[in-house]
Amino acid sequence: MELVKRYIAAVQRELPEQKREEIGRELNANIMDQLDALSEQQGELTASAVSAVLKQLGHPRTVAQQFVPPLPIISSAYMSLYINTLFMVLGVLFVLQVIGSSMAWLGSANMGLLGYLFNLARGFMEDAYFAFTAITIGFWLMSRKQPEPKSCSTKNWLPEQLPAAGQTWQHIKLQDIFTDLATYIFLLVVIWYPQFMSTEQLANINMLLSDQVMLILQWATPVIALGIGCSLWQLRTRLWNKNRLIMNVVVNFHFAGFAVLIATITPLLQVPVVSLQKVFTLLQLERTAVIVFVVIALITAWEVVRDIWRLRILGSTH
Amino acid sequence: MTTAQLDKMRLELRRGVLVLAVLGSLKQPHYGYSLRQQLQQGGIDIDEGTLYPLIRRLADQGLLDSEWQQGEGRERRYYQLSTLGTELLTPLINEWQQLNGALTHVLGDLVDATKNVTSATNKPKGNP
Repeated sequence: MELVKRYIAAVQRELPEQKREEIGRELNANIMDQLDALSEQQGELTASAVSAVLKQLGHPRTVAQQFVPPLPIISSAYMSLYINTLFMVLGVLFVLQVIGSSMAWLGSANMGLLGYLFNLARGFMEDAYFAFTAITIGFWLMSRKQPEPKSCSTKNWLPEQLPAAGQTWQHIKLQDIFTDLATYIFLLVVIWYPQFMSTEQLANINMLLSDQVMLILQWATPVIALGIGCSLWQLRTRLWNKNRLIMNVVVNFHFAGFAVLIATITPLLQVPVVSLQKVFTLLQLERTAVIVFVVIALITAWEVVRDIWRLRILGSTH
Repeated sequence: MTTAQLDKMRLELRRGVLVLAVLGSLKQPHYGYSLRQQLQQGGIDIDEGTLYPLIRRLADQGLLDSEWQQGEGRERRYYQLSTLGTELLTPLINEWQQLNGALTHVLGDLVDATKNVTSATNKPKGNP
């Protein structure tokens, strides 16, 4: 019966300490009953017959999990809240990291575009690891202390409070809002941070765009601020309605206009500090910059057309 | 449908019914192995890995009383319906009968068709 002892011990190792003794004792009694019944039929049992009975019972870990099913780290009642919190916090951290990295980029004479992207990714990953761990531990503690939330919104609700059924595209994804917010804040930092720098600092930084382009971008500030307001508004209720679509059309229309205007300016880039001239000619760089702004204009124009089409659909359904 | 899918659905279908079968069988005291034998004799085959944890769970919920007893030179844990378990068993049986009746009605023709197919398959070859 050495095999049975080893089997029981293996099951007990997989169990919580306070349940080991009792479950082990009961499992042992059940196995011995089974072996007794088998020996009445077959005579004295061989080690391989005992082994076959134990194998049929299942792997010790499986048996232990059947007696004490493992609890999920986060209770299913909190899962939706957990995922939303995670996305919100990671989104905010991304926006903050964009601000920090953009300032570091503008304030440094040595950091190129690749360095900026690497700095952004590294900083965000560091913050994200910490946030993910902290949020997960927080929800784990909540799940252990109180498996069902006290103020559960799924209990106190009325069908009348639900938004209209609408189209599938009407749901606004959280990552879309945070991507927009990060872009707007990045633009604001790029446009306005140099204004608060001393002449010495300005001499050391990588100014990629020409003064004329920077001036046009400064004119775009109210549109960027409007874009930030729209994103925050979308965050309150993540559903496209008529008013939100109109605001989005206004913002994107202006962005498309500014992008087209900038694409027509010559020169687009700051000549003396463009270090990439070692690899490309100035003409190639200028042409690339024009293409970039035309692409930006086309994307935002497409969004304007798309939102006008969506407005028409909403108009026809109401 | 794969065998794995069928096994999974069968398991889901049996899960609730097994609780009723176990509670019904424990009007008399039983230890784990003897309960399994009793259920097998009644046509319900249930593996040890499912039955033993199920009895413990029902005992933890207060539906079963348990007691360690010495018998045939070995200790065994005997289980029997508790007062709470006895109170709950009657409405559970009623629920089961109602559900069974409703299902028979819903499945009606399908049950007859299945019976015909089964009897035709089991009929010895060569007999009319």
